[in-house]
Amino acid sequence: MPKKKNDILQGTLALLVLKTLGANGRMHGYAITSHIQQASGDLLRVEEGSLYPALHRMEQDGWLRAEWGTTEKNREARFYAITAVGRKQLALEEESWARLRDGVTRVLRYA
Amino acid sequence: MSWLARIRNVFRSNAVSRDIDREMEFHLAERADQLAASGMRPEDARREARRRFGNYGLLKERTRERDLAGWLDGCAGDVRYALRGFRSAPGFTLVAIASLALGIGANTAIFSLINAVVLKSLPVKHPEELVSVTRDSVNLFTNPLWEQIRDRQDMFDGVFAFGEADFNLADGGEMRPTDASWVSGDFFRTLGIRTVVGRPILRDDDRRGCGGVVVLSHAFWQNAFAGDEKIIGRTLALDGHPFQIIGVAEPGFSGLEVGTYSSLYVPICAEAIIRGANSQLDHRGSWFLRVVGRPKGEQSMAELRGRLAGIVPAAVAATIPEHWPPEGRANYARAKFGIEPAERGFSDLRHMYSKALYALMAIVAIVLLISCANVANLLLARATARQREIAVRLAIGADRRRVARQLVTESLLLSGAGAVVGVVFAAWGSRLLVSMLGRSDRIVSLDLSIDPRVLAFTIAVSMATGLLFGLAPVWRAGRVDPQAAMKAQGRGVVEGHTRVSLGKTLVVGQIALSLVLIAAAGLLLGSWRRLLTLNPGFRRDHVLLVNVDMRPARLPAAQRGIAYNEIVDRLRTIPGVRAASSAQVTPVGRSSWNDVMHVEGFTARSEDDAVAWMNAVSSGYFSTLGIPVLTGRDFGLQDRPGAPRVAIVSQTTAQKFFHDSTPIGKTFRLEEGRGLGQPIEIIGVVGDTKYQSLREQTAPVVYFASRQDTTLGPGTYFVLRTDAPPTAIIPSVKKAFAEINPRISLWFIPLERQLAESLTMMRTVATLAGFFGGLALLLAVIGLYGIMSYNVARRRGEIGIRIALGAARPRVIRMVLGEVGRMVIAGVLLGVLLAFLAMRLISSFLYGLTPTDPRTIAASGGVLLVVALLAAAKPAWRAAALDPVAALRED
Repeated sequence: MPKKKNDILQGTLALLVLKTLGANGRMHGYAITSHIQQASGDLLRVEEGSLYPALHRMEQDGWLRAEWGTTEKNREARFYAITAVGRKQLALEEESWARLRDGVTRVLRYA
Repeated sequence: MSWLARIRNVFRSNAVSRDIDREMEFHLAERADQLAASGMRPEDARREARRRFGNYGLLKERTRERDLAGWLDGCAGDVRYALRGFRSAPGFTLVAIASLALGIGANTAIFSLINAVVLKSLPVKHPEELVSVTRDSVNLFTNPLWEQIRDRQDMFDGVFAFGEADFNLADGGEMRPTDASWVSGDFFRTLGIRTVVGRPILRDDDRRGCGGVVVLSHAFWQNAFAGDEKIIGRTLALDGHPFQIIGVAEPGFSGLEVGTYSSLYVPICAEAIIRGANSQLDHRGSWFLRVVGRPKGEQSMAELRGRLAGIVPAAVAATIPEHWPPEGRANYARAKFGIEPAERGFSDLRHMYSKALYALMAIVAIVLLISCANVANLLLARATARQREIAVRLAIGADRRRVARQLVTESLLLSGAGAVVGVVFAAWGSRLLVSMLGRSDRIVSLDLSIDPRVLAFTIAVSMATGLLFGLAPVWRAGRVDPQAAMKAQGRGVVEGHTRVSLGKTLVVGQIALSLVLIAAAGLLLGSWRRLLTLNPGFRRDHVLLVNVDMRPARLPAAQRGIAYNEIVDRLRTIPGVRAASSAQVTPVGRSSWNDVMHVEGFTARSEDDAVAWMNAVSSGYFSTLGIPVLTGRDFGLQDRPGAPRVAIVSQTTAQKFFHDSTPIGKTFRLEEGRGLGQPIEIIGVVGDTKYQSLREQTAPVVYFASRQDTTLGPGTYFVLRTDAPPTAIIPSVKKAFAEINPRISLWFIPLERQLAESLTMMRTVATLAGFFGGLALLLAVIGLYGIMSYNVARRRGEIGIRIALGAARPRVIRMVLGEVGRMVIAGVLLGVLLAFLAMRLISSFLYGLTPTDPRTIAASGGVLLVVALLAAAKPAWRAAALDPVAALRED
């Protein structure tokens, strides 16, 4: 069975989240989901709920910092921001993603 | 840091849950808003938002795990879940915990005894530094030798000698024997034992010619003086001599002899006060002291041995027993001295005890294995009932490892609960055991408080137990196929054979282990019975032994023999006394006396070969005990001091030394001073008797006439044959002695009890083996009954078809019983193999039976088979009584 196109490759979710937060500062989970969808032109669709275990793991790893705040609609939401450790991790992930992409592309081209 | 936060979160896990809900609800609300804004109806928008979100419960669970120390939180959940399960099955829980508590408790009890007897360090300052000075294998020193070592050594910070003593505290009437210690001046200082009141014994208290001072143990002070602090300076009569109480030792200290509670500490020099002219202080052949020291600074054992070797020759040369024959003196000079660690104290009993304790440890370990198998079987039965539940959990995505962990948690909880109950049971059991090891003349005292070592043992055992019996259901859960299990509607058809064969294997193992225990119990109880009922060569019933301390009568040694004979005449007049006599040594008692025989024409193969056991008795001793006089005569009035010395020998003595069953008129000599004494003429031969122990091979015994003996000590036994039960005449005996001298003190024991108490260790091991053997049998039978009931229930359909097709009911019964028979036979065969391997552990306790006595083993197998078939009778009957129509309709 061919896989659905919007599945996010294992391990890239962290990269996408870190990049999103790195570029936009403080965001809540829903905003991160929407941002990834929009920025990818709807090509990447996160199974929305699966974002949360990832966010909490990154928070425990010290990549993100979280705090409760209020949105403009006056709803309570948990806002995430990238930490210094997170930025280092982002650099590493970007680099390893580039390598993977290059590798895969080459195989596709020459195999 | 983050770990800490996660562990902390476990304890506020509800708050964490709420926060995650809030966060996710926000997401859903935002998404729903957005969808509604694009024109969806609000309910549809909410539904769609949820659909896009994915599996809310699962994702929430995963998120939670990120925030919490997942395993820990999982464990808390598992524990809660397991407890709920236990509450809903109280019968199962009770049986499981009870059998584990019994198994773990028994193991803890025996281990805490092993710990107390063999492993524990002395409760003194830095026990690991202490070393003992050893001499050949006996490790005892004479006082002159100790004084030489004390005065010549420069290797110890402190060095002291101590020896076992026992004193009679009573001043007339019944004896109050009390265990005590002779201690040298540096005993308390070297051990670092303080006094709670008064002062310890110091170096100045231990000088030749000292006055009598005594330090009390804390417990003795509490019991005898109710902890009265004004006791200091008062006197205590030890064997009738006044001793001044100078102090009370700190609590918890009971001397250096493990198993003996030393209540009093007396300086060695005071021995001269107690024994007077018989003092051993200058005796070069009286070995009663142990020497212990605390080395200066850091010295290796080798260095210590080297320095000791430097002082030994001079010490030995100064103390050679000059009256000894030349080869004795040469042996004395040749003895090897050494240094050994003394951290764990001393115990004459340690060797004997530890053998019994290791045998018991093996027995209770087997009991624990059997209880494990039982609980495993119970859990398996439960697991079958829960198969569907597990299948459902697997089907909705539970991790198999997670399910396994949950099952292991249940097992560990069970074993933990078993351990807690078991420790309570052990505290009681080990005390009971110690009291079983005691005798009327010897109280065994052990420090049984639970220390970290015992605790670690119990925890390790219960964890190992939990994992051991927990494996079976885990192994099975790993094989549940959710689809098949769900389809089978929980009827347990799936994997049914696995369940049965695993359960059956467990039962076969249980039967094998039970066989080992039952056979061991059979062998031990059989040996005990043989020892109790063997013919010791004398009559044991209706005999009262009276141990008398005659010191207050102040008789010179030369007159004692005659006085004892006169007392015997007086005791004969007591109504109810059929016969009376006196003896220095009583059969299988606590004292003994042996010497080397010199007989013309007899050449000893070794030094021990020439040794015979001795006794000095009044006339009438043989008839009192029913020992047959085979030839010659009993002692009489003519055997008085000054008349030719005479002796009566046992049959074995006659054969061994004289090669003659009637050596009347022949003579032998004993060593006396530097040479041989006067020839002693044999006037009679009597039957053989057990002398020191019921187990011993028949040994040569020689009897002297106490009337003739001018060297008797002030302590003796009177032996009375009675018409009524022996204890009934105790008041009359007390009255008779009070008339002779009210300060004479007495101690009574019926001969029968003295013999029984010589088998205390044997009785303890045999009764416990019997108890645990019975327990093993019970557990195995429960296991068997459980599995057969289950089996019959599982095969209802099949049996129904057989009956419907015309199988006769006896045939059905045969089928069920046949299955049991096969299991039992497999178990018994396996058990016999194990028994052959295991029985070596108890062989030293056996008497008259080989460790693989075929009759005992066959009988044990027979008992197992019969009991197993009885246990299977009900399930078999239920199978036969099955209504085929009803059974088939169910399926």
